[in-house]
Amino acid sequence: METSGITWKNLSTLILAVGATAFAISQAPANDEAIFPMPAGKTYVEECGSCHTAFAPGLLPARSWRRMMGELANHFGEDASLEEPRRLAILKDLETLASDSPQANMRMRRINGAIPANTAPQRIADTGYFKYMHDEVPKHIWQRKKIGTPGNCIACHTRANEGRYGEREVRIPQ
Amino acid sequence: MKRLVAMIALLATQPAAAETPQQILDALVAQAGPASAARGEQLYRAKSAAGKTANACTACHTDNAKAAGQHVKTHKAIDPLAPVAQKDRFTDPAKVEKWFKRNCQEVLARACTPQEKADFTAYMISIK
Ligand code: HEC
Ligand code: HEC
Ligand code: HEC
Repeated sequence: METSGITWKNLSTLILAVGATAFAISQAPANDEAIFPMPAGKTYVEECGSCHTAFAPGLLPARSWRRMMGELANHFGEDASLEEPRRLAILKDLETLASDSPQANMRMRRINGAIPANTAPQRIADTGYFKYMHDEVPKHIWQRKKIGTPGNCIACHTRANEGRYGEREVRIPQ
Repeated sequence: MKRLVAMIALLATQPAAAETPQQILDALVAQAGPASAARGEQLYRAKSAAGKTANACTACHTDNAKAAGQHVKTHKAIDPLAPVAQKDRFTDPAKVEKWFKRNCQEVLARACTPQEKADFTAYMISIK
């Protein structure tokens, strides 16, 4: 193996890296952990995680994402527009992993249950579940310079871009 | 076995279409003519009355392009813009173009000219 320059070790690393991407979307997280499935590949984090946290699709229902992805040129006052087919590919991932998708886990269903069916909220921080989960965070903490707004998940949930919101991964910046 | 290795290696390397900051600058200079890092620094620091929420590049990228910035609206941390401090900066032409488009619009309420982009890139590369 040495002579070919490829060892079993780095070959298996490659296989793992390729396999992990395909596996990520099919992986169903345990129901009791605060882990949300994320779109496979880097596109979502690169396109939707540049200005803010790459929000887990399971935090909102598909109708919210459809509305948002149809108005990207005026996205909270910002131009976040994307070329096709990239926009459609991201929308498809968001729909597949949304809080009301058939494969939603228990936590996602709870999130969904707190959103009235006739609304399509655009702000995660306005949803009932978010408020309930953060009602013990005092107001002055949100105003800290490194946090600034409740939508800045990744300031406290250090692995939010991987869909991980577990207690052990929370670090509230000073 | 060899074929499998080759296929996997191909899969793993395909997305890397990286260029160097100098190559990106050269392509901009080819459109615009000679670049000036001094003019680029002026663009970086200039206060603009046209910006809705951000009145300068420094509003998000801070006065020091070697330091981490923070998005004025979302408060998310932004990696430094100078390649000397953040090595993947100015290595992906499509990414550079996308953010010039967005951020010039945001701050200046217009697109940046090829000359401005060349100057700005020259300034970022000149930071040591
Ligand atoms: C050019 C910057 C930019 C890009 C790119 C961008 N956004 Fe946003 N996004 C914003 C801003 C600004 C806000 C509003 C922040 C605020 O006012 O608190 C926002 C807010 C949001 C919110 C609401 C967050 C909350 O407060 O609960 C969601 C959800 C969201 N964006 C999703 C996306 C998705 C999905 C994409 C990719 C298609 C994306 N964004 C790309 C700038 C951007
Ligand atoms: C000020 C820091 C901070 C910010 C910003 C923040 N959170 Fe939290 N979050 C917390 C804390 C503290 C908890 C409670 C931890 C615990 O006891 O599990 C929590 C809990 C959660 C939980 C439940 C975790 C569990 O174990 O059940 C979720 C899900 C969550 N946050 C999502 C978000 C999302 C989504 C955002 C952004 C839209 C966000 N958070 C922004 C601090 C923050
Ligand atoms: C509202 C906040 C904001 C302002 C103001 C802003 N930028 Fe940015 N800029 C960003 C964000 C967010 C990114 C991408 C995040 C990342 O890659 O870490 C970025 C990335 C860039 C990049 C991409 C560099 C690379 O290769 O990765 C360039 C070039 C750039 N900005 C130029 C400018 C210029 C020129 C101005 C002033 C006219 C400006 N920016 C003002 C937020 C801003």
